Amino acid sequence: MAQTSRRYAISDIPLVKRVLKSRWPQWLAVALMLGFFVLAILAGLFGTPAGNRNFGIVFVWIVWWALLMLLLVPVAGRLWCGVCPIPAPGEWLQRRTLIAPGKGGKLHTLGLKWPKRWRNIWLQNLGFLGVALFSTVILTTPLVTALVLLGFVLIALVTSVLFERRTFCRYLCPVGGFIGLYSQVAPLELRVRDPEVCVGHRDKTCYTGSDDGYGCPWLVFPGKLTSNTYCGLCTECLKTCTLDNVALYVRQPGKDLVTPQRRGVDEAFKGLIMLACAFVYSAVLLGPWGALKDAARAPFTLPWLAYAAVFLALNLIVVPGLFVLAVRAGAWLARRGGRTMAASDHKHAFVEYAAALVPLGLAAWIAFSLSFVLINFSYAWPTLSDPFGWGWNLFGATGLGWTPYLPGLTAYLQIPVMLVGLAAAVGVVLKTAHRHGCGTLAATPVVAFCSAATVGLLALFLA
Amino acid sequence: MKHNLFALIVLLLLLVGLPAAIFAYRTARDTADGLRVIEIQAQAPEAGGFIPDRLELTAGETVKLRVVSPDVVHSFFIPELGVNIDEVYPGKPVEVTITPQEPGRYAFACTRWCSVDHWRMRGVIEVLPADAATQSTQSAETSKKPLFEQLGIDLDAMRHAPTALPAATPSAARGAALARRGTEPGAPASPARPPFEDVQARKRVSPADAFLELRAAPENAGLSDDQVWDLVAWAWLQDVSPETLAQAQTLYSRDCAACHGETGQGDGVAGENLPGLAKMDPAMRRGPADFTDAGQMLSAPDALLHGKILRGGMGTGMPEFGSLYTDAELWAMVSYLRTFLFTK
Repeated sequence: MAQTSRRYAISDIPLVKRVLKSRWPQWLAVALMLGFFVLAILAGLFGTPAGNRNFGIVFVWIVWWALLMLLLVPVAGRLWCGVCPIPAPGEWLQRRTLIAPGKGGKLHTLGLKWPKRWRNIWLQNLGFLGVALFSTVILTTPLVTALVLLGFVLIALVTSVLFERRTFCRYLCPVGGFIGLYSQVAPLELRVRDPEVCVGHRDKTCYTGSDDGYGCPWLVFPGKLTSNTYCGLCTECLKTCTLDNVALYVRQPGKDLVTPQRRGVDEAFKGLIMLACAFVYSAVLLGPWGALKDAARAPFTLPWLAYAAVFLALNLIVVPGLFVLAVRAGAWLARRGGRTMAASDHKHAFVEYAAALVPLGLAAWIAFSLSFVLINFSYAWPTLSDPFGWGWNLFGATGLGWTPYLPGLTAYLQIPVMLVGLAAAVGVVLKTAHRHGCGTLAATPVVAFCSAATVGLLALFLA
Repeated sequence: MKHNLFALIVLLLLLVGLPAAIFAYRTARDTADGLRVIEIQAQAPEAGGFIPDRLELTAGETVKLRVVSPDVVHSFFIPELGVNIDEVYPGKPVEVTITPQEPGRYAFACTRWCSVDHWRMRGVIEVLPADAATQSTQSAETSKKPLFEQLGIDLDAMRHAPTALPAATPSAARGAALARRGTEPGAPASPARPPFEDVQARKRVSPADAFLELRAAPENAGLSDDQVWDLVAWAWLQDVSPETLAQAQTLYSRDCAACHGETGQGDGVAGENLPGLAKMDPAMRRGPADFTDAGQMLSAPDALLHGKILRGGMGTGMPEFGSLYTDAELWAMVSYLRTFLFTK
């Protein structure tokens, strides 16, 4: 096994390499997910409207969400994107083949380029806010869930006909946006072994494609990849690299956050939006406030409009505003301490410090997910036995009642998760401050922001 | 090429085979025992109640009823067929097989407190005789138009308040005494009574019109207005037995009092915030009808009240009692409503 400092190329294990080089394992995984996806959509369209008895609701919003937030994202980053069925139909259409790569990795699209001004994750941020705004309806109404999933497939399909590669995944998918953000924490990365080899490689087949596969569907040049954010773990580069210079590594968790990166305001906002949404979701879905739940559940009514206004203000003004204040207070403290921040540009500092929200936000979403996943996971068994609520009993589990798992333990899991998230966030803040020549004092306001968010979220979880 | 073909087969199995298998299994399961399956959605009355709330079966026919709740826990109760499913959980269908032997109307209801309008969650199974000839007679009978339709009465039309209203509560007993007299020497002449003794004729006119007609009759010139109203009360209640009124009172307490109030004043707790109240004509009384409102009630012929009870609705979510009551029960209820203004 090849080993460089603090990372291990697991793709050098012969079995792993064979699995990654072959197209079948991944294709079958996508096909399997597509089967679940079809079942979820059919259940949403034709099954019972009772969410807790409908495969679509239970398997998408409880089982899949639990797998995604508690396992896949923290451990394997964007692994879900590698097997996601949503872009698959569009991708097959682009490639005009289901599995065997076309000659030279040629794609068939109208060849349009995605507008330059939208080559960021702002649309993903807005898409996520849109979905989050209606989440109480989407999460509980099988028909709406089915329509949303169908909508995603349709948009991905149209996008792949018009634009190159996986434009939908890269610039539009509301889920992919936060998976990418939090995948920076994961102890798994797909990287080139030696960037110098890529510089000297004239054909750059990892980006242009070859008879062995397609150019990076995520529009990334793997030779310059330094973060998991935009690597969809599709492993095409591993298949197309003629120099065997690409590998899948196990690495130090959160490495992307402490190494200098080119980050954008869009990414910083993604972190802030996810943190604000964790607050709103916890208050609406876990909190005891009936009026708030009623307002969130009744789209386009007057109470909902008020809820929407508060929701958007929190996400786009209040939380980002408080964070900006914390960053500016840090700069002020640095100046008072006689030190000038190297990143004197406030916008730059805002973006740099926002990296701390990645571990904190991920911890918040893990803790939030624990609270409802453990309580509701037992719905999975009867739903598997009777996916449509039609009175079937395929596996003899239809009669199983609702049983919360480890309800007394949830808080004891949430507290350490949040504390680990806070510790990691503080670590990122301090490293960022020191990297820019500022002392610990300058990091205090942002640390205070992260601490306040932790206390606030724990209060919501435990109250 | 081989790879793509195999992948295509897998894909077709998933995209076509899986849905086809699901629906084929459902059909096979439903038809396994050869019984007709009728699915009844049991949902909160605000969302529609039982759908359908009216089934038509043939006597001796065995059917499987599948009761499905999409929202909260309901129950399914057909007292006359001995069916009592205590709990119909959301998303957990419950099946029951029934074979009603006797023709007739079998009411079914939810007996769980499923919403504030729970009491409206009713339905009826119409069981027709198996014999075709009888069935067609029965069908002709059941399809007979109700009286309000035969008379062309618009149930929702605004009606003018009567020009004369009783000053005291009219008494059928006093009216009966007036109707009997006339034979004593020196006594006033027998008051005019027809056509209100004829039940069928009486159903077509309002008490207020009956009053005006009786008031105008020369034979009644010596009677006070109150006495004429007593005659009207007598005409309306003369042929209604105490048993009929008692039966109607039981039905009223069970089915009507929640909204219209035990004393008929339209002040039942379930009548507050009824669905559809906001849409009602502001000029009209908002809420359940007040049966003690002489202006409204005395201007309404029995045919109109019968039609309103039969059809329900009125924008308030009142059930269609025509599917729940026999015709005799509907007319008994009309008579009972008169007792809120007339004493027996």
